[in-house]
Amino acid sequence: MKSFGKIVKSLVAFCSLASVGAFAAVDAEMEGMEVDQRDDGTFLVGSPTFFYDRILGAGGLHSESEMWSPEKLRQRMLLDRMSILPSWDVMEPSVWIKSGNELGDMIYRDFITAENRPTNRTPILEGGFRTPSFKGFWVTGRAFQDDHFTTSNFSYRKSFVDDEFAIFGENYPMFSTMYAGFGYSANSIDASFLAGEEYIWIFSESSRWIPIHYKPRLEARIDASNIEATVAYEDAEYQDKRKKEKGARKELNGSVYYRCGEACRRGMLQLSAGLAFRAVDDSGMVYTHLEEDRAFLPFVNLRFEPFNNLAMEAMFAVNERDWLVQDSLEFRPPVPRYTGVVVGVKNISGTRLNPLADGEEYFDGDTISLKADGQMNLVQGYTAFSDTMGNVGMGGRVSFWAEHGAETFDVDRYVEDDQMVYRHGDVERINSWIRGVTGELWISAWYREMFSFKALGGFERVDGNSSRFEVTPVEFFTSFTADWLLRKSFRISQSLRYRSDAQWNLRSVDPLVVKGDWYWDATFEQQFPAHGLYLTGTLLHIIGSETIETPNAAENRLRFICTVKKTF
Amino acid sequence: MKRWLLALVLCLSPVFAQHPADSAFSHIYVSIEGGEQYPFGDLIDAVENSFYGGVGFRYAYLENIDGFILFDYSYFKPVPEGVKIYGAHQFSGKLGLDFKWKAIAPLAIGAGFVCDWVRGDYDEDKLDEISFSNDLGGTLTDNETEFGWFARLNLPLIRKETYKVGFNALWKELWTLPKRSETLSVGVYVERRIW
Repeated sequence: MKSFGKIVKSLVAFCSLASVGAFAAVDAEMEGMEVDQRDDGTFLVGSPTFFYDRILGAGGLHSESEMWSPEKLRQRMLLDRMSILPSWDVMEPSVWIKSGNELGDMIYRDFITAENRPTNRTPILEGGFRTPSFKGFWVTGRAFQDDHFTTSNFSYRKSFVDDEFAIFGENYPMFSTMYAGFGYSANSIDASFLAGEEYIWIFSESSRWIPIHYKPRLEARIDASNIEATVAYEDAEYQDKRKKEKGARKELNGSVYYRCGEACRRGMLQLSAGLAFRAVDDSGMVYTHLEEDRAFLPFVNLRFEPFNNLAMEAMFAVNERDWLVQDSLEFRPPVPRYTGVVVGVKNISGTRLNPLADGEEYFDGDTISLKADGQMNLVQGYTAFSDTMGNVGMGGRVSFWAEHGAETFDVDRYVEDDQMVYRHGDVERINSWIRGVTGELWISAWYREMFSFKALGGFERVDGNSSRFEVTPVEFFTSFTADWLLRKSFRISQSLRYRSDAQWNLRSVDPLVVKGDWYWDATFEQQFPAHGLYLTGTLLHIIGSETIETPNAAENRLRFICTVKKTF
Repeated sequence: MKRWLLALVLCLSPVFAQHPADSAFSHIYVSIEGGEQYPFGDLIDAVENSFYGGVGFRYAYLENIDGFILFDYSYFKPVPEGVKIYGAHQFSGKLGLDFKWKAIAPLAIGAGFVCDWVRGDYDEDKLDEISFSNDLGGTLTDNETEFGWFARLNLPLIRKETYKVGFNALWKELWTLPKRSETLSVGVYVERRIW
C-alpha cells in the first residue's frame, strides 16, 4: 500500500507539472450526494438518507446536516437531520436520464460461477423532464432512486415491509421518489406545485432503519419579489411487518421567508425574517413523536455593516421550547489588490441544533429523548488569507474553537440481533469544554477556461476532558483536484484525495474505525453546446477500499454513472 | 488496470488542448452495423458466440480525432447445461474516440467506455425468481448493468459519395466479478455522411 501511495503522489506531481485553475467539479451521483466526493473534513456516508458531514474547521462536534438554518428551509428533514436528498427542487428546462451501478455484477460469469457468488450490485436510476415555458407555464416530472448502499442490510430491512418498497426494482433502495407537477415562471414570480409518491428509509438515534411511505407527498412553492413561501403535505405510512405494527402520520410543514432585497442589501442594516412550521397528526405506531404535535420557529437574520470592511451577522430563531443563535463578526483589513485577509469570530448557542425536529423516539418499549436539557455554546476565532499572482493563487486558514455542552448520546445499553447493533439511552450533552485547532493551506493554478488545478491540505486537533464523541473527526486530509475543458466541449474533472481515520464511538460497544484511505473520482463529459446535449460518465471511489462508513449501514463501493441530458 | 488507463488519459489530456484547428462537429455520420461477438478466455465456457446489430453516430472532433456513439443489441445463449434461463438480451452503449494517424491511414484506432444492460430471457411462469436467485443465471432475472472499456480498429473499405462501407473489430472488457469479462466483436458497417 505504501508503494501505491508513492505512485499516486508521483502521479499527482506529474499531472500538476505536465499541465498548466476553479475547483474540480466531479459530478455527484445524485443531487444531494456531493458529500460522497468530499474529504476536506469528515464525510461518512451510511446511505443517501444518512451521512455525517463535517467540514474541517467548521467548529464543534456536530455534522452540518444536524444543524437547522434558514438556508435549509427547502431541504428535507429526515428525523433530526436536514438533507438535500430526496430533492424536490425543480430542474432547469431539459430532459435527462441517468443510470449507474456499483461495479461488479456477474453478467455472463453468472453461468459459470457456482460457488462464492458475489453479492448483487445495485444501481441508481433517474429520469425526468421539464418543458420550456409556454407563456410562463411549464410542466415537470421526475422519478429517481438510489439503490447504492443497500446490500449489507437488505435482508434485515426487507423483513420490515410487506412489498418491494420502491417505485422500481427489488433492491429495497434507501429512497425512491416519483413526482410530477406544473409551474409558472414569469414577471418575477416563480411558482410550482408538485405531487408524488416516495419511499424512504430513515436512520434513527437507536440505530435502526425506519421505513416511511409517503402517499402522497405534495409540495407548493412560490417566490414573488422578496418573499419565498413553501408548504408541503405528507401522508406517511409506517410499518414493521415482523411485529405487525402499522402507523400513519399526516404532516403539514413549510415556511415563509422575507429575504433582504436589492435595495435593502445596499443599506447599512440588512434584515431578513421568516417562520418555519410543522404540524403532525399521528395514529397507530409512529416511531417518533413531536411534542404537542406542532412546532413553530420564527427567525430573524441581521447583517450590519457600519464600515466597508467590518460586518456583523446574526441569526436568532426562537420558540416556546427552544432557541438557536448564530452570530459572527468579520473584519477585512485593507490589503494590496489581488490579496485578501479576513479575521473573524463566530458563535453558535442554542438549546437544540434542530429546534423543528421530533423530540422523542420509541424503541422496544423505551422512549429515547432526542433533546437534551441545557444549552450548547460554540465559539470560534479564525483568520484566512489569499493571494493571486498571474495564473497562480494560494491561501490558507487557521482557526481555534471551543464548545461546551455539545450534543451527544448517553448510552444506557446496547442490544444486538443477528445483523444489527442498537442503542438505548438519550440525547445528552458533553458538559465540559472541547477544544479544536485547525489549519488549511491551498495552492491553485489555472489557464483561461481550459484548465484549473487545486491542491489542498488541512489538519485538525481536537482535545478535551471527554473523547467519546459520536464521531471522532479526521485529523488530516489532502486533496488534488483538476478540471480540463478541451475545445470548449470536452470536460474532464478529477479529484484525488486522502483523509485519515475517523471513528464512530457511540453506536456500538466497540467503536467502528473508518480507516483512512485514498479516493479518486473522475467525470468525463462530451458536450454539444450548440445542441444543448451533454453525455456524461462519472467514476466514483476508483481506488478507495469498499468499506462500511456508518454502523448498521452498507458498503461504499466503486461505481460508474452515466447521464444523458438535453437542455431546452 | 483501468485506473492506470485513466491516469494516462488524465495526464495526456492537456496535450490535446494545444490543437488549434476548429473542426469539432464539422462532419456528422450515421451508420448501421452488424457482426458477430466471441467470448474470450473462460467466458467461452459461459456463453456461445452471438450475432449483433446496431446503429452508430460519428462526429469530427479534433483534426485527427473523431468521436462516436454506438448502440447495439445481441442475444446470448448459455453454454453450461442446467442453466434454467433460455438466454440473455444485451443492449450495449459505447462512447469513444477514433484516432486517425496518417502512418496507418485509412485505419483508425479507437477506445472508450461501454455500458451493457442485460436481462435474462426466461419463462416467468416456470421460474420462481426468489428461490432461483442463487442458481446459475439467477441474477439475470433482474436487470443487470455493467460498465467497462473497449478498444477498436476501424477500417473503411469502400467510399462512394456520401456512403462508406467498412470493417470494425472491437475488443471489450466489462468490469464484472469474480473476474473481468472480455469479448471480441467483428462486424461490417454502412455509414452515411449527414454533413
